[in-house]
Amino acid sequence: MPAWLDIAVRSILFVVILFFITKWLGKKQISELSFFEYATGISIGSIGAEVAMGLERSIFHGIIGVIIFAAIPFISGVISLKSKKFRDFVEGTGTIFIKDGKIMEDNMKKERYTTDELLELLRRKDVYQVADVEFAVLEPTGDLSVMLKKENQPLTPKDLNLAIAPIKEPQTVIMDGVIMDEPLATIGRSRAWLYTELDKLGVTVENVFLGQVNSYGELTVDLFDDQLQVPSPQDRALILSTLKKCQADLELFALGTEVKEARQMYSENSEKLQKAIDKVMPILKG
Amino acid sequence: MTIASNVKQTLASLKGAEADLSSLALRTQDFESKRTLHETMMSVHEVVTDLKKRIGEMEREEFQYKGF
Repeated sequence: MPAWLDIAVRSILFVVILFFITKWLGKKQISELSFFEYATGISIGSIGAEVAMGLERSIFHGIIGVIIFAAIPFISGVISLKSKKFRDFVEGTGTIFIKDGKIMEDNMKKERYTTDELLELLRRKDVYQVADVEFAVLEPTGDLSVMLKKENQPLTPKDLNLAIAPIKEPQTVIMDGVIMDEPLATIGRSRAWLYTELDKLGVTVENVFLGQVNSYGELTVDLFDDQLQVPSPQDRALILSTLKKCQADLELFALGTEVKEARQMYSENSEKLQKAIDKVMPILKG
Repeated sequence: MTIASNVKQTLASLKGAEADLSSLALRTQDFESKRTLHETMMSVHEVVTDLKKRIGEMEREEFQYKGF
């Protein structure tokens, strides 16, 4: 076998082996979360390259090496699942850098981080003032996780006591003009329904680059033809305005009638409707 | 436009809203929202019932309001 063919065969073989090993080790290997994944990832790569290019080396020996380097992080991962102590030893624990808003100088010294490096890590988290931080911990991966003081955290609906409607994840039902049957089935819709909705918007499937259905069953689309204007779903806004109009009408009737019982009935119902509107408002507005 | 026909119009709008709410409740994926929508539909339905009764009374008292 000529040398170039040998190299080609070895390269292809090792690409396939490395592909399946990374698949087997899973997402953790790619994210290189701990020392093991980091070190073994490099070693597996170099062994592969070495054997592919070094013709004097045996392919079989290379495969053994790669498998052992892949098996050890896998086994350590399995043991880590069972034992917290082993996990702390292998994967390391976080080091607290800022606690109660105060920098822990000793911990920084232990990890050999300078003040500049701490400031840099904080800046990466969009924090420019150390005084804004309540708690920060250096993860084993070298990332800094930062918890801001409550007054510096982004405002949430909970802080404002706002009622908001819960939502579910949207489903992508059209990609590149092709209908996806599985997501459609997940939300319990058929192709016929989709065609009706597309008709309502006045577009064809072929023209849709991306189509998604939100948790209220409304279809939103992005078209290949960006000149076309597509109406956004108005169903919920319409219901809300109808309800509001009817509530106002009931109030008017209450003012207009001379009959005592009728007046009471109207005002009671207008109140009832108002309460219902208040309750359903977050859903119809959201 | 007479009062009776105004009330009838409102009744029709409310019935429409009731149906829309019901279909929205069926389409909604989130269970909590589904329930809220359903409860709203029930309240609207109560109002619809009361309005219907009132229209009946009006038609009985003043015969010319009968029909649409």
